[in-house]
Amino acid sequence: MQVIIFSWEFPPRIVGELANYVKSLALQLVKNNVKTHVVTYHDYLTGPREEPEGIKTHRVTNPVRTHIGVLTWVLTLNQEVERTAANIYYNAKKQTGLIDAHDWHFIHAAVTLKKAFNLPFIYSVESLEEHRSHGANSPFNMAIKSIEWLGLYEAKKVIVKSKWMRDEVVRVYKVPTDKIKVIQPKSTAWIKAILKTYKSLAGGAISK
Amino acid sequence: MDKSHLKNLQEPCRRRDLQVTQELTVMMFTWEFPPRIIGGISPHVYHLSRSLAKSGAKVYVVTCDFPGAPQHEVLDEVEVFRIDSYKNPAPNFATWVYLMNINMQKEAAALVKSLGENVDVFHSHDWLVANVGIGLKHVFRKPLLATIHSTEIGRRNGIHSDYERMIHETEAWLTYEAWKVICCSDYMVSHVRWAFGLPEDKLVMIPNGVNVQQDTKNKSTDLSQFRRKFALPEERIVLFVGRLVYEKGIHVFVNAAPKVLEKVNAKFVIVGNGYMKDPLSNLVKGMGLAHKFTFTGFVDDEILKNLQRCADVCVVPSLFEPFGIVALEAMAAKSAVVVSDTGGLSEIVEHDITGVKVYPDNPNSLAWGITKVLLDETYANQLRKNAHKKVQETYDWDKISQQTKTVYKEVLDEYSKSFWA
Repeated sequence: MQVIIFSWEFPPRIVGELANYVKSLALQLVKNNVKTHVVTYHDYLTGPREEPEGIKTHRVTNPVRTHIGVLTWVLTLNQEVERTAANIYYNAKKQTGLIDAHDWHFIHAAVTLKKAFNLPFIYSVESLEEHRSHGANSPFNMAIKSIEWLGLYEAKKVIVKSKWMRDEVVRVYKVPTDKIKVIQPKSTAWIKAILKTYKSLAGGAISK
Repeated sequence: MDKSHLKNLQEPCRRRDLQVTQELTVMMFTWEFPPRIIGGISPHVYHLSRSLAKSGAKVYVVTCDFPGAPQHEVLDEVEVFRIDSYKNPAPNFATWVYLMNINMQKEAAALVKSLGENVDVFHSHDWLVANVGIGLKHVFRKPLLATIHSTEIGRRNGIHSDYERMIHETEAWLTYEAWKVICCSDYMVSHVRWAFGLPEDKLVMIPNGVNVQQDTKNKSTDLSQFRRKFALPEERIVLFVGRLVYEKGIHVFVNAAPKVLEKVNAKFVIVGNGYMKDPLSNLVKGMGLAHKFTFTGFVDDEILKNLQRCADVCVVPSLFEPFGIVALEAMAAKSAVVVSDTGGLSEIVEHDITGVKVYPDNPNSLAWGITKVLLDETYANQLRKNAHKKVQETYDWDKISQQTKTVYKEVLDEYSKSFWA
């Protein structure tokens, strides 16, 4: 009866727009009686925590302290995300409904957990490397693109926030259009559409 | 990706249900497995896995793919799965390792799932497969063991950059997550304790092995034809086998050559590849000794074995050597060995009994050792005989796999009392 959200930023750690978006998403899910776990990164506020609003947060840090860039940092962080998500899954007696992975950072963990537990995941696209890197195609950019591709390939559904992004995902990664759901965050039907998508994947595992 | 190999799993699965005698299922991770051979881990995992399987354990090896090698095969009862390693250009080697681990992890997760999670232990060999082992340990809640063959701090003689420190910390993380850490020599146990601050009871010493039987057959074959390809009949063969990298001390070997040649007519044969190959062959040319050296590059197993049989002396001049498998292989092939007195080599060779030990990083001392063996036939023959006996007694793979199995069983016994069980 629960959902696990993966996001590399979550308040108080705010890098871009994603942190506050994921926070409002988690709040709405809680209001709709979905048990919501957020697995995210923080350098020292680690461990499981019951937030006042009812969100359960799990902040993980990287056991490998020294890195040569964001890519190796993200890649080694994934095992800690897996460990935490696996703990949530076992503590919930394997009743986790799905994983909602935001952006590319923790796609690997979502894919491994899918293969291990048959646990479906949604890839929620905030942005693509194609646009962030302005056409650069160094091995670094390619690695991130290959992770995005893996996520789009392995995800049961892809959620994007605009029609423009849907068309970009189709253009860049040749994802079939019917796999992608456009859900605009500002719309009144936003959380209903999210819940509907969750339910279509997890069935009875999501309440209401 | 082609998933046809997963279908093949059904068959061994069913067979396993019938075999009630099979008391242990191991899944090993390694970045190299034959025919992919980069260093010593590949033959190590090959022999260990087949000896374990021979003694009744079910062994799955998950490794990187290799051109021409099948995605799935059963080799001497060992089930080998070769995963699609990351093939795009990677920013650097370490990043490739992490990307490859991600691929290996998702394939191994699917494999474990398809086996009904019927795996007792995961076993990772070196940091190159740290992430896959650590991740799957927590996902499936099974114990993880690690064999540390070598360390970054040892390979580089210290940590000098963020890149090296990142690898060092990944190694530390693996040893932290492992239930037990296996090392191949007493030297390595002490080195790993020092490098990562591990408690003593977490470390186990199990020596590396060589397959003696395999090395003694075909002994009667006439090798004079073969020998002629590498040296003139009047030249004695001085053999080096190893990666051509700094820590293997290959430059010491080259610098010892002129002193050996003052006393004995010899050919120096260098087998292996590495970043020092070009600088070394330039050095040899500069010394005016190009005609006394042969760089063979990487050779196949049979040529290597024959070379070790032809060689009058095999030299292991390493500056850092966690174990020193090449010395053992040479001893198994009945060659006399000269090794630097360091690391695992110090434990393998007993000076004047099973080989000659010389000062590390010292061309004069190395030349003295080589010359001593080449000039005294009786002495050399005695060394060969003793060394071969020692290899059979101590470094036999069946004995080693039994020791490994004992460690697995101890871990499983402790695990069975934990809340994961």
